[in-house]
Amino acid sequence: MTRFSIFTNRRGASPLALIAFVVIVCLLFAFPSLVESPYSRHIMVLLFLSTIMGESWNIIGGYTGQYSVGHAAYFGAGAYGTMIVMNASQFDADKLLELQDLAKDSRLSSLLLSAHDLHPWTGVLVGMVAALLLSLIIGSICFRLRGPYFVLASIAVAEIVRITVLNLADLTQGAEGILISTLPPLTIGNTVITDFSNNVPFYYIGLLLVLLTIFVTWLVQNSKLGYFFQAIREDQDAAHSLGISLTFHKNAALALSAVLTSLAGSFYAIYIKFVDPTTVLSLDLSVQIVLISIIGGIGTIFGPVVGALVLVPLSEVLRSNLIGESLISSGMVNSDSAFGHFLTENLSHAHVLIYGILVVVVILFMPDGVLGFFKSMVAKKRKEAA
Amino acid sequence: MKKIALAALALTLAVPGVSLAAKVKIGFINTITGAEAPIGENLTNGVTMALEDLKKKGIDVELIKEDDTGKPEKSLSAFEKLATRDNVAGVVGPYTSACANAVASQADRYKVPQVIPAAAKEEITRKGYKYVFRLNAPADVYSSVLMDAIMTVDKPKTIAYVYANTDFGISTVKTAKEYARKLGIREVADEKYLKGAPDFRSTLTKIKTLKPDLVFMVSYEVDAITLMRQSREIRLTPKAFLGAGAGFTTAQFLAQKMISNLVFSSTQWTEDVNWPGARNFYNRYKAKFGKEPSYHAACAYEAMIIMAETAAKNGGNREKTRAGLKSGQWNGIMGEVKFSDYAGYTNQNNHPMLVQQVQNGRYETVYPAKFATKNPIYPFKW
Amino acid sequence: MTLFLQSLISGILIGGVYALIGIGLTIIFGVMRVINFAHGDIMMVGMYMTYFLFTLFGIDPFVSVLVTIPLMFVFGAILQKLFINRILGALPQNQILLTIGLGLIMSNSMMLAFTSDYKILTTSYSSSSYRLAGLSVSKPLAISFLITVVITAALYRFLMKTDTGQAIRATAQDREAAQLMGINVKWMSILAFGIGASMAGTAGALISPTYYIFPQVGSAFTLKAFVITVLGGMGSIVGATLGGVIIGVVESMGAAYISSDWKDVVVFAIFLLVLLVKPSGLMGTSRT
Repeated sequence: MTRFSIFTNRRGASPLALIAFVVIVCLLFAFPSLVESPYSRHIMVLLFLSTIMGESWNIIGGYTGQYSVGHAAYFGAGAYGTMIVMNASQFDADKLLELQDLAKDSRLSSLLLSAHDLHPWTGVLVGMVAALLLSLIIGSICFRLRGPYFVLASIAVAEIVRITVLNLADLTQGAEGILISTLPPLTIGNTVITDFSNNVPFYYIGLLLVLLTIFVTWLVQNSKLGYFFQAIREDQDAAHSLGISLTFHKNAALALSAVLTSLAGSFYAIYIKFVDPTTVLSLDLSVQIVLISIIGGIGTIFGPVVGALVLVPLSEVLRSNLIGESLISSGMVNSDSAFGHFLTENLSHAHVLIYGILVVVVILFMPDGVLGFFKSMVAKKRKEAA
Repeated sequence: MKKIALAALALTLAVPGVSLAAKVKIGFINTITGAEAPIGENLTNGVTMALEDLKKKGIDVELIKEDDTGKPEKSLSAFEKLATRDNVAGVVGPYTSACANAVASQADRYKVPQVIPAAAKEEITRKGYKYVFRLNAPADVYSSVLMDAIMTVDKPKTIAYVYANTDFGISTVKTAKEYARKLGIREVADEKYLKGAPDFRSTLTKIKTLKPDLVFMVSYEVDAITLMRQSREIRLTPKAFLGAGAGFTTAQFLAQKMISNLVFSSTQWTEDVNWPGARNFYNRYKAKFGKEPSYHAACAYEAMIIMAETAAKNGGNREKTRAGLKSGQWNGIMGEVKFSDYAGYTNQNNHPMLVQQVQNGRYETVYPAKFATKNPIYPFKW
Repeated sequence: MTLFLQSLISGILIGGVYALIGIGLTIIFGVMRVINFAHGDIMMVGMYMTYFLFTLFGIDPFVSVLVTIPLMFVFGAILQKLFINRILGALPQNQILLTIGLGLIMSNSMMLAFTSDYKILTTSYSSSSYRLAGLSVSKPLAISFLITVVITAALYRFLMKTDTGQAIRATAQDREAAQLMGINVKWMSILAFGIGASMAGTAGALISPTYYIFPQVGSAFTLKAFVITVLGGMGSIVGATLGGVIIGVVESMGAAYISSDWKDVVVFAIFLLVLLVKPSGLMGTSRT
């Protein structure tokens, strides 16, 4: 088996699946010209964002078996790196004077001054480097621990990052967050994107990032490095006795995962144009990242995609009460009836509850995630047929 | 022309049943679930009452409620949906500063008029957005009005700040510090705390040893009660406790008679202020929901009334509604409302904030003089 | 000096409540190896119970502990039987997510039932204190500390001296060996989760007179419980007690001498330090 052959994977050749994949990707590229609605594009962007987060976590959580519940730290690194540099590049003369004044006794302010000279989009790189450094620090602390201790340590480190960002207001603007009103032009190759006013550029950036993370995951799954990761997941001690360096490979997996997660954070930041510690560094976010993979199915290339496909539309439908609304507007339910009242008033409050129930149901009845569940269903059917 | 419109409006108000022939679609983005939900509920209730009153005036609002759970990206989803899928005439909300901030840039992009009822972050109306209107006073007024009130009775020398490390806390204290410096009041302590902490005793003890004249606090909801309870425990006794809005203006705070007495707070709205319908709103709200409205409820109520009336008058046309908001003038439970450009703000209602003090278990408006019902009691004692 | 002593006293007293939360978590972890992310939410349920016992029946929060403990025990036992039991052998990340899901269900059901309004429980002593040589000792905290001491001592005795207690400890030490010895480990797990839930509920009851109650109140305490438990050593009751008091004092001293906004960083830094130097915690026996 050639390791980098496109037409084979570990389980054997599946050209049909590959064709399906290519067709879907082509359709996705055509999507913005086929569908006019900005709202549906927005949902697609959220879908991409979730997929990127899920795929990135999957590398450390799914393939290497280290359940980090602190990925918000890397997401935040990307988001803040991008926003700080971008914001600094837009400082006006007054702000610069004020900063030069402050820079005498605040190192953070002088840091901001040097950020001003950077190209605005290099913030994405700054974010990646920050995430990389952070992952090495976190790795060196947390990888000495195993199992539940590792989970708790990863939460603790992420919380330290959150509170630090909250308190270093000179650099991060603390709880007030960073807001950017216009994005600077972005040059990719020969094309220059200046108009970010509709969400088409974000759609394509998101799609490319999704393909990138899927490609990286595929590489991981099919490379020697990836085999080592999976060996560690299956049995750390056995892997160690086979001569696989646990420290090196765990850290490598985390670093890779962290850098990709920081890209997701940068993507979020430029799309929303606002970051603050609660939205990009909270424990909630860390949990959400883990959920995407686990609901979909961890340790598989398309698990996180499935997870995002389940969670994003679901949370949107529940949040905006689309079911209740459409039942009423289609005339099936009278809005003044008790049931209609229940749909409009109560159900709109219950979406997180439904979300919680879904999580419990999936964990109890589909422990390998939605993808795993369907795979085993198919396998069962085949067996029966045979 | 405007006079005719006003006359027509007056006529419809006077003769119930005369319809403006309007069914108008309005979006309402609010925080219904999540950590900010307790305040969000006040806004929901305020809007519910606004819809009833609008119906009486012949304006039938088709309200599309969206929950943003307090997260900007969800708020953005809600706005995109309202603007492009539901084709609303205008949007009221979101509640939190972070969400309102994120959505404001989209309002201009989709050319959908937006009235922000209660978010305090100054920047929101400082970016020159044409379609974004804000009813409530921004963060800087929360602190200045309080200090102005104290300056009428005393010349305090020192001040200590205790505040939540949140957007609202930080931006309010930032402007408070500038204003205090201008008035020559010296800062002796600056204590940020993480929202929801159960124990402030050592922070308060530290402040007690510094003996400040004023203790200035910015706290959400119930942190205010925790802070005052523990201040009483350790007998922190400045000349005045100043609470900037939020947690110091709730009915629950008032109900804690042992600790709320004589505390000053700044607020967007009080029931006893002589703005038309304020008292009536308070009574009806209390009867309907079984609790007192916070200023958020009043803000949301008035924001919805203004948005729906303007949209209905303009047949749901977004551009005309925007023009109507820009040129219009209202006088309701929030006093006189006019969206104007001043001091770097665009479409900002220069809303006069009020200072209230708890006296004998009631909130009494004590400043500015023209709205005051009682004189301030000073200095503070337990 | 006043500042130091004052901070020390309030730190120790609030640490008592923290200890109870930690003890609950540590028992659950000890017996089942499940990190209970719904721990704060269980505490929240206890808080609502206390609130309604007080407002509807006029039962003082400190007395209501007598009702809360058995009710919360049953609640915890049911949770264990219906949900936790099914995932005991599952992957750790699935266990974590299940408890997160359960926490979401609890907090959002509460929100649907009682709205998201803050509930405040006001007793005659909510803001009163004993004066002691220029220091003030919070009355409600002092009482709750005493109750904590009594409960912890009783629980400790139960685990050390009774047969059932020993069976629980045996299960915690080695599940399979315990099973081979004829201990009904399933029953022990139910018992342990019940005790854990009732401890969390009690902590909720004790903190109610000085704090406030709302559906999302739990998450902050869940995080705190993790720190306390790891600090003390997972599975160790004495450790959790010690951990609770240490965290209380560190928070209090941090607020007094560093600043209130950095104190949580100090707490987490200590947490990490302990994890690195002695992963088994202050009182834990090392286990790999």
